[in-house]
Amino acid sequence: MTLSNGLRVVVSPDRTAPVATVGVYYNIGFRIEPRGRSGFAHLFEHMMFQGSANAGKMVHIKLVNSSGGVLNGSTHYDVTNYYESVPSNALDRVLWLEADRMRALKVDDDNLRNQRDVVKEEVRVNVLNQPYGGFPWLDLPPIAYRNWANAHNFYGDFDDLDAATLDDVQKFFQTYYAPSNAVLLILGDVDTDEGFRLAERHFASIPSGPQPSPAGIEEPAQIEERRGVVEEKFGTLPGIAIGYQAPRRLTPEWYAAAMLDQALHGGRVGRVYRRLVLEQQIAVDAEGGIHYPVGDLFDYNGPTLMVTRLLYKPEYSVDQTIAAYDQVINEMKEKGITSAELEPIKVKFRSNYFSMLEGGHGAYIPRYGLMHLLACFTLFDNDPKLVNTILGGFMEVTPEAVQSVAHKLLTHHNRSIVIRQPAKKGAA
Amino acid sequence: MASAPRSETPSAVPALSPERPVIWPPRVRKTLSNGLEVVLVELHTIPKFTGELFFRSGNAVSAATAPGLADMTATVARTGTTSRTSRQIEEDLRRMGSDLSSGAGADTSVISFGGLVDFSSELLGLVSELAQHASFPADEFERERRQLIEGLRIERTTPGFLASERLRRVLFGAHPYGTVSPTEAQVTGYRLDQLVEFHKRCYRPGNALLVLVGDFSPQDMLAQIEKAFGSWATGAVEEAPNPKLPELPGRRVYLVHLPGAVQAQILIGNHAITRTHPDWLRLTLANSIYGGAFNSRLVMNIREQKGYTYSPRSGAHPLRQHGYFSVGAAVRNDVVGATLTEIFYEIDRMRSTPVEDGELADARNYLTGIFSLGLATQDGLAGQLATATLERLPEDYLETYRERILKLTSADVLDAAQKYFDSAHAQIVIVGDRAQIESQAALFGTPEVYDAQGNRI
Repeated sequence: MTLSNGLRVVVSPDRTAPVATVGVYYNIGFRIEPRGRSGFAHLFEHMMFQGSANAGKMVHIKLVNSSGGVLNGSTHYDVTNYYESVPSNALDRVLWLEADRMRALKVDDDNLRNQRDVVKEEVRVNVLNQPYGGFPWLDLPPIAYRNWANAHNFYGDFDDLDAATLDDVQKFFQTYYAPSNAVLLILGDVDTDEGFRLAERHFASIPSGPQPSPAGIEEPAQIEERRGVVEEKFGTLPGIAIGYQAPRRLTPEWYAAAMLDQALHGGRVGRVYRRLVLEQQIAVDAEGGIHYPVGDLFDYNGPTLMVTRLLYKPEYSVDQTIAAYDQVINEMKEKGITSAELEPIKVKFRSNYFSMLEGGHGAYIPRYGLMHLLACFTLFDNDPKLVNTILGGFMEVTPEAVQSVAHKLLTHHNRSIVIRQPAKKGAA
Repeated sequence: MASAPRSETPSAVPALSPERPVIWPPRVRKTLSNGLEVVLVELHTIPKFTGELFFRSGNAVSAATAPGLADMTATVARTGTTSRTSRQIEEDLRRMGSDLSSGAGADTSVISFGGLVDFSSELLGLVSELAQHASFPADEFERERRQLIEGLRIERTTPGFLASERLRRVLFGAHPYGTVSPTEAQVTGYRLDQLVEFHKRCYRPGNALLVLVGDFSPQDMLAQIEKAFGSWATGAVEEAPNPKLPELPGRRVYLVHLPGAVQAQILIGNHAITRTHPDWLRLTLANSIYGGAFNSRLVMNIREQKGYTYSPRSGAHPLRQHGYFSVGAAVRNDVVGATLTEIFYEIDRMRSTPVEDGELADARNYLTGIFSLGLATQDGLAGQLATATLERLPEDYLETYRERILKLTSADVLDAAQKYFDSAHAQIVIVGDRAQIESQAALFGTPEVYDAQGNRI
């Protein structure tokens, strides 16, 4: 249902255990943060835990934990989410908290300084002080894209984080955090009427706000292979990541590309791992996927890549490694895929889909995956029920469609390559 | 719904409504005639099932001769059987919509698997084959050996790994728990016959536990299990050695030098207890108040007030023979000393001042609540079942967990903190660039300095 202020509400009852998961998703991700403010969408996500009109700093965290629940938030390319999993007797309380911070953020300069410091340590622990930090999720965009929205440093340059002001915070909140730019999801131990009644009670009186104008995230067509080199400061092995511009969601090509992706990257049985790691033993690790590694097939709404990430042995050159990879790609384009290979891929895809719906984010956030899909289908497509029917589209993909999308996608002029080169040669 | 009256949001926090009963789903337990222990729970959330086949022998068993051998054995065991090649195994798994992984920690080896329930019988057959008839192909072994060595080299550039390696060495010395990873030379020294022998000796039904959760009827599943595992021959397995632990000196500082590090990884620790110790829940609650939850004192202090770090956490770690307590935080270089001050301030406060009623009640609710969250998914249930059964905890451990937590008092927390937050014997490990942090580290004791290879410098 949709409240009068434009907030969409999705309720999904499930009485397995007396627990509920609540999420609020806003249709804003790090793609469209302001220029000169790289990393701001994520910094802002941290600010949403710093205090709202009736729940000051630390109150959100304290109230959720002391009710027996856990909470977190995350910033993605095109959405930002806030979620709690709690015993169902805390549902009313959790909805009150989410409504309070949708109504009004109440933060000060101390909060901003504090979270700026916290975010810098987050970037250090995840990127700057780790082997292969940011490889390739921060390495590929500046090589692959020409539009700043898609190409900039999503975690944030420290200068930009330092430049962020409280004024930026309130402006961002006013622009992107209106009820009509969000969806509320209630899953688990609640019945549908009760869920809608609670949503109405807590959220209906939040004033509506103007819808943000659509962001310009289009990319000019890519017409040449793009390459870049990034120094690997700690790790001992060289790495290569290759990203092909992927199709738009829900197009016929997208369904076929999902099967192509599974054929190439579906774990140890996928062609890339099998050939490069198990058979030729050039690489020691190979992974990949559409919108990999910080997202999946479903949670993007603009340009993205189908990525392969390799760590390979130092006795091989970049050219040898890419040549071996290209052989796998060329075979797919030339010989395609038999139904003997495609049918098991579909079985595995269906199985993975079920697991995603049930959990998808560790054992303590039940139904996270279902919540995430419902949110994306609501915000991007205005059709949460797609969650029930979307599998059909993948099951209908034919071997011919896979080969055809391979021909279209897997071309040199449609790809970008980053080479992650260790600073020191070899290892002791 | 648009015509519904607009209500004002109340400014008071809504009270919790009455709790719905938390009911542990019934489990079916059976021991097959060959000694294989089986625990089943049905949970019909999705048309799948998840399982784990544990062996109560891990890296500790072979620590004296070949550290890490159990893990290598588990890794190579999935690469071939007497009737399937590596490639067939992987293709069969995909065809069954299934996943499978294998590995070993200090105390157990495990094959974890899951898939569409339509294929359960066939998947159990494959797991049984890996457990009984793994063929250990020489070429797969050599490939895995090289991958492991490359992985170890990368680990030696990872601050979190270097910190835990040094802490475990300091706390457990020559005990098997003192070694978290083999050296390159030790991996180079592995022989295929060692893997075969370990597998033959330890992958035995009398040494095993099979946990299954999912969309099945227990009677039907038991029949499938009997078919897959019933003819597996039993065999006696010896316990891992348990040499005496080192006496810890007073508080001491260890610095692992990682040139170019732009952050310092702090990890402090001391000896504690296992999950079977009567104080375990007291320690769990004390840890939750100190640094085991987002709302804990440590996180509020060094993250939310001071902004020194992103994800500080403390933890009580129960291994089978011994346990330890640790506190970790990755902090910016110029606040290493300030962070240690706060870590010890909060520890000493826990040890010297009783926790107030409100904070105590909040922490009890937190632990009982997250326990319930783990009941809603197949993986969550399997994890809790595995813990309780592997450690041979009392039969009603899971059913009574919440009420036992709710009975704990402020005195229990104080007692646990005084015994197990051993401030006076805390061993302090810091991984970072020596030039940036050594003078701050030295404020807490003369540092023993190591390089990333583990050599004293």
